[in-house]
Amino acid sequence: MKKQFLIFPSVLFLSILLIFLYLLIIDRNPTELPSTLLNKKVPKFESESLFKEKKFVSSDVFGEKIKLVNFFATWCKPCRDEHSYVKRFSNQEGIEVIGINYKDNSQKTISWLKELGNPYSNIAVDKNGRIAIDWGVYGIPETFVVNSKGIIKYRHVGPITKKIYKKINLIISEIE
Amino acid sequence: MAPYLGNFLLWLSLFFAISQFFVSKKNKKSKFITISVIGLLISSLFSFFLLMYSHVVSDFSVLNVFQNSHTTKPLLYKISGTWGNHEGSMLLWILVLTIFNYFIFKLYNEKNSIFVSKALETQAFITIGFILFTVFTSNPFETINFAQADGLGFNPILQDPALAIHPPLLYIGYVGFSAAFSISIAVLTLENNEKISWSSYMKPFVVAAWTFLTIGIAFGSVWAYYELGWGGWWFWDPVENASLMPWLLGTALLHSLITVDKKKSLQSWVLLLSILAFLLSVLGTFLVRSGILTSVHTFALDPSRGIYILAFTAILGGYSLILFGLKSKKYFNNNYFSFFSKEGSILINNILMVVVCSSIFLGTIYPLLVEAFTNNKISVGEPYYNSTVVPIMIPAILIMGIGPILSWGKGDMLKTFKKIFPSILLTLIITLFIFLFYQSYSLIGVVGVVLAIWIISNNTIILFQKRSNLSNGMIVAHLGIGLLILGITGSSVWQEEKIIQMKVNNEAKIKEYNIVFKKINEIKGPNYFALQGDFFVYDKNKNIITNLQPENRFYPVTNSFTTEVSIHTNLLRDLYIVLGEGNLNDGWIVRIYYNPLVVWIWIGALTIFLGGLISMNNNLKKLKYSS
Repeated sequence: MKKQFLIFPSVLFLSILLIFLYLLIIDRNPTELPSTLLNKKVPKFESESLFKEKKFVSSDVFGEKIKLVNFFATWCKPCRDEHSYVKRFSNQEGIEVIGINYKDNSQKTISWLKELGNPYSNIAVDKNGRIAIDWGVYGIPETFVVNSKGIIKYRHVGPITKKIYKKINLIISEIE
Repeated sequence: MAPYLGNFLLWLSLFFAISQFFVSKKNKKSKFITISVIGLLISSLFSFFLLMYSHVVSDFSVLNVFQNSHTTKPLLYKISGTWGNHEGSMLLWILVLTIFNYFIFKLYNEKNSIFVSKALETQAFITIGFILFTVFTSNPFETINFAQADGLGFNPILQDPALAIHPPLLYIGYVGFSAAFSISIAVLTLENNEKISWSSYMKPFVVAAWTFLTIGIAFGSVWAYYELGWGGWWFWDPVENASLMPWLLGTALLHSLITVDKKKSLQSWVLLLSILAFLLSVLGTFLVRSGILTSVHTFALDPSRGIYILAFTAILGGYSLILFGLKSKKYFNNNYFSFFSKEGSILINNILMVVVCSSIFLGTIYPLLVEAFTNNKISVGEPYYNSTVVPIMIPAILIMGIGPILSWGKGDMLKTFKKIFPSILLTLIITLFIFLFYQSYSLIGVVGVVLAIWIISNNTIILFQKRSNLSNGMIVAHLGIGLLILGITGSSVWQEEKIIQMKVNNEAKIKEYNIVFKKINEIKGPNYFALQGDFFVYDKNKNIITNLQPENRFYPVTNSFTTEVSIHTNLLRDLYIVLGEGNLNDGWIVRIYYNPLVVWIWIGALTIFLGGLISMNNNLKKLKYSS
């Protein structure tokens, strides 16, 4: 009678390892966080616009087209790494990229964009990080996909890599 | 030169480990075993020091140094940088394995050669597994061809004295359980070992592992408290849990080993615990290194490493647990004993520790299970752990107060009550006194204080009575637990937090203290720049207590910011200030914490460590005497 329950630890242990194996080999990203804003309207906010004369008003900007919202800063190295992908998005038809310049120096940002190229159709200045709080930003860079009705459809935490670039494109083609 | 030699020595240690594995199959002590064991120890030791040398002299032709170091880094962190990264820490892990391997080898005497050889064979197998892993997936001696002027820098958050020694201490703990594991395997595979007192072999290793694990976890906590600046010292992070689980099983193991020694009962239980304690240690490494869980400790995300460790854990775990399932029957006995006895109290302690460990395990892997089966993401946080761990620990601690003074066999209730009466009285008086004085009541606070005083008074009384039948190490360690509970209760129940925006010359009040923001300085450190807030703390009589200077540091090499907490400590409370974001016009976000009794957590942990060392010494003496 005893024999059966003595084997129980090994069965339990190995089945836990099997689950770990499954999680290890499926294509998963542990840093991917579901946003509570998913399928909700973009938060309303107003701030300075980096290049344009008039204020950045969120309700004027979202809607009509599919928008990518990219939180970035010049002091963040991964932001520099993902910049080429952000540019590729802005060159695509029907997509505009909105930049949110997080806790940064505006002069530095302007020269940074001169050096690397400016992919953003509009840039909101988030000096004190208030906008990032409203969007539930976890750490920059962070990118949101907003559909033509101003509803957030996807969120990615961390730099855009080749894989993520493809994934975001897939999501864009789905919501079109 | 150094990296090539280091790499060669790493391969050499692989060779010695393999040779130890095969020659120990001969089941007797031979000069080949001696050569393998000593060769393994020396080659891994030198290999480790060569990596350290490369870090100290900033040899940027080594990829590991280039990625994790920088010329401007202070010497202490150049040294600790050796194990502050994944590859180097694996080398440390191997070194500790070989040190324990050497101590198993030292157990040899005329009668036990078959047994010790078997344990050495298992230990060699474990060592081979880890060396192969290091050599093929995480070789610290990898070089880069083109010359590099300077390194990429070391994560500034890891540049902290407590964290510099945290990994070595922790690894002695984790890896120490490997020796207990190897001894268990020897017990289970060999048929005729009635004459071998394996429990007394296992005990010094378990005591050592447990003692160092305790202090290692404590240093990790100290680091979190001083460096992260979140005001707390424990966050139920998956990696903290990964270290706590082997500690809990180790606690159970330590106590049940005493029962095996004295009563020959709980043998199969001890074998299972020693296997599980090591498996959980390895599994902890897996969780950290594979990136399967996100935590502050996550090193590099590399799936091939994860698969390797997982496969290795499966081999170790599958083999040992199936072996246990088939062979442990022999050690299973139904010697029922009275609950009101020392062995009874130890058994209850064991059950409770294992239950706590299981609930932490469940909480840690639950998000993974949910994700695997439903694709949803959830996280399990503090409320879960507080409501599962705390209620189970309360009876465990109550029993801890009586357990040591109960006698083996059947205890006499009246006699025991007479013995513990002074401490019951003392507990009541001190507790009443404390609450009359502070007038701050909360159920969990009262329970915590009562438990702490109960353990402290009990063990202090025993310590002064100098009972020869009780081990001093145990009493001191138990006393440490009492102090630890006092600190944990105080800091978690009566903590106060204030987050405010302050301009220069503003004041803030927390408890009876008045804190004035005097000025802000710009300072320059060896490898960082910082903004330093200057705060004066006054008590209610307007006397100045201290001057606190929290910093906001910028490390240009890694382009990162850290906060340096400033703390004023006394025996009753910590005042803890963090300088957040801000500027001269709007002021700075300042977080002020009033953390009662935190220092007793550290004192408690050090006391436990001391008790562990005393007990280690006693067990080693006993072992020498008996052999």
